[in-house]
Amino acid sequence: MIWNIVKKQGLQFIRNPQELLLLIGLPILLITILGIALSSWMDGESPKIQVKVAFIQHSDEHAEVEGFMERAREVIPPEAIESITENSQNFMFVHTLRDEILGSNALKDIILLEEINASEKESIIEDDSFTAIIEVPEDFTYDMLNHVVMDEKTQPALKVIYNDTHQVGESIVRSILTQYQQQLTLGVFLEKNGLDQSILNINGSNIVKEATTIEQNLPITSKDYYSVGMAAMNVLFLASAIGAMAFREKEDHVFDRVILANVSRWTYFISIFLSGMAFGFIQLLIIYGYAWLVFGVTWPDLFAFFIVTLAYAAAVGGITVLLTAICYRINSEVITNFFSGIIVTIMAFLGGSFFPIGDSSAFIQKLGDLTPNGAGMSAYLSILRGNSLADVQDHVSLLVVFSVLTIVIASISFPKRGQA
Amino acid sequence: MLELVDLSKKYKNTYAVKNMNMFIEKGEIVGMLGPNGAGKSTTISMLSSLVEPTNGDVLLLNKSILKNPSPLRKIVGIVPQEIALYSELTAEENLQFFGRIYRLKGKKLQQKIDEVLEQIGLSDRRKDIVSKFSGGMKRRLNIGVAMLHNPEILIMDEPTVGIDPQSRNYILETVKRLNKEKQMTVLYTSHYMEEVEYLCDRIYIMDQGSLIASGSKDEIKSILSSEKTIVMKVNRMDPTFIQLLKDNPVINQVITSEKEITIIVPKEVNLFSKLIKMAEEQNLEISSVDVKVPTLEDVFLHLTGRALRD
Repeated sequence: MIWNIVKKQGLQFIRNPQELLLLIGLPILLITILGIALSSWMDGESPKIQVKVAFIQHSDEHAEVEGFMERAREVIPPEAIESITENSQNFMFVHTLRDEILGSNALKDIILLEEINASEKESIIEDDSFTAIIEVPEDFTYDMLNHVVMDEKTQPALKVIYNDTHQVGESIVRSILTQYQQQLTLGVFLEKNGLDQSILNINGSNIVKEATTIEQNLPITSKDYYSVGMAAMNVLFLASAIGAMAFREKEDHVFDRVILANVSRWTYFISIFLSGMAFGFIQLLIIYGYAWLVFGVTWPDLFAFFIVTLAYAAAVGGITVLLTAICYRINSEVITNFFSGIIVTIMAFLGGSFFPIGDSSAFIQKLGDLTPNGAGMSAYLSILRGNSLADVQDHVSLLVVFSVLTIVIASISFPKRGQA
Repeated sequence: MLELVDLSKKYKNTYAVKNMNMFIEKGEIVGMLGPNGAGKSTTISMLSSLVEPTNGDVLLLNKSILKNPSPLRKIVGIVPQEIALYSELTAEENLQFFGRIYRLKGKKLQQKIDEVLEQIGLSDRRKDIVSKFSGGMKRRLNIGVAMLHNPEILIMDEPTVGIDPQSRNYILETVKRLNKEKQMTVLYTSHYMEEVEYLCDRIYIMDQGSLIASGSKDEIKSILSSEKTIVMKVNRMDPTFIQLLKDNPVINQVITSEKEITIIVPKEVNLFSKLIKMAEEQNLEISSVDVKVPTLEDVFLHLTGRALRD
């Protein structure tokens, strides 16, 4: 019975080219226009970050370590000397910073390290192309080892001069040095407490772990964005189209005929919900299919895409049955016109269909995510960025809750026998 | 078979139908006659369980169907006044959809569709979209949908509104044939008295929500057996002449239209010479005088003072 009603609704859609044009043709046209027109604004590649760092070292680190070992042999028992010798690689603090961190493969695309003489320092300060100058004072490693092993009070420090006109680059260098400092401090702590320092491994990958967060997501192009935005917005028009169609069934007394055939009102009610959901699902697939074929909008996680589409289609089904129930209750289709003319525009604006409004304010982003189209968009964009279903479960849950809520309200509003 | 007992429907402070009593026996064609707004459609809506009555009951084989309308719905086919069809679908697709919701399927459904299309004369138009049909064809399909599940009772609400005489005759003949060949019980509502007079064995006349007369055609016409109707055509309407007629104590009723004056007088009264004299005195020219055999229209006129199609 339900299938017959849904199938009949489908036939009515197929026979109505104007409606089809609005529901399928319009979003496709909008994706094409907006995706192309705004590509320069949205797809503009972010400039590559190049951080130029000058490195000044006043003394030879190997000689400093040798000098320390000589001193140590005089005051430390032979067994301890053996242990220090085994871990001598960990005491090459400057080498670690210069070669294993700043000069690592992971950072070589970002940091351009130049070793310079102390005499060049002044001219480098004048050179605006440099982001920072790291100066390792004389006997830095020797003094550091004395501080760590011999417990001497004086702790040596690196001298760093930043170019504050390079804000991004400056923050990158600061971040690297802060992490280096933390690791170094931890090493000192371990040494002083007689713990195994080998558990500490200061190298580029530790630092890079934090740095890579900048680039870990896939980029969203304007065609990706507007495929999602227009699909999410236009599927809402389907709800009002089916709502209006269902109301015409009441006006034309076809609904009465269905009821007189001993079909329960609730069977009809469920059919309307399923029509909204099924046709919403199909509409989304057609629009995304077009985006895939023409603009190459692909989904890294197809399973997550289908789950989000299903959840969003359920929300559309909920809106459809709610609009139908209100039309039947007030005996007018004015609500479907109001929904498609006013409410969809507001929801599309808040949800970010026209432009990423959420970027301007966290509050608006939250507000937009509370609308079904906003939640759907956020979920779709997140999947496009390479996130998994688990990352979008909040949005999916919201869509399911929204769907259930609208069905409950619609079932309360839907006129019972003898009403309206 | 089917009975309405003191059935009323009140909307706010107005009665759409008040204390309606009616019965329909198996195999008969019963007419419900009344002008637009008389309460015929509301009565049918209550009778077919679509609208709950404010008072009264609907009995099918002496059992109330108000709480459980299912037994009635199984045996009744409703032809609404409106064209209750999907205009985007073809005639066959409409019949398929409604047949399926009546739980018909497969070969049985196809056979029934073929049979109905034959009965309503649309077999050769089965693949055509309904929106392309003429008004008469839509009306015929509207009836066809109600016949799909072989109903025992067919309730037709003004099935010939707004169609050409040819289609109207086709529909009337179809109803007659269904009643004769399939012993289908029919309740036929109309404001065309000639249709009701042609089709129906018994007639109920409604006006302003109430039943004003009922019985067989002869019983109803006998209401006017002691009176006759005289229709005069005049060259102009003269208020003094009309007033003189109204003041005449032997004239029971005076009804005027554009160029016609209808008067109802006792059967034994001979008024011709007096009427001609009165007209001459007012310089009026009477072009024709006609004495009519009472029709249902006259009965309605007599009972309400208004024409059926006013």
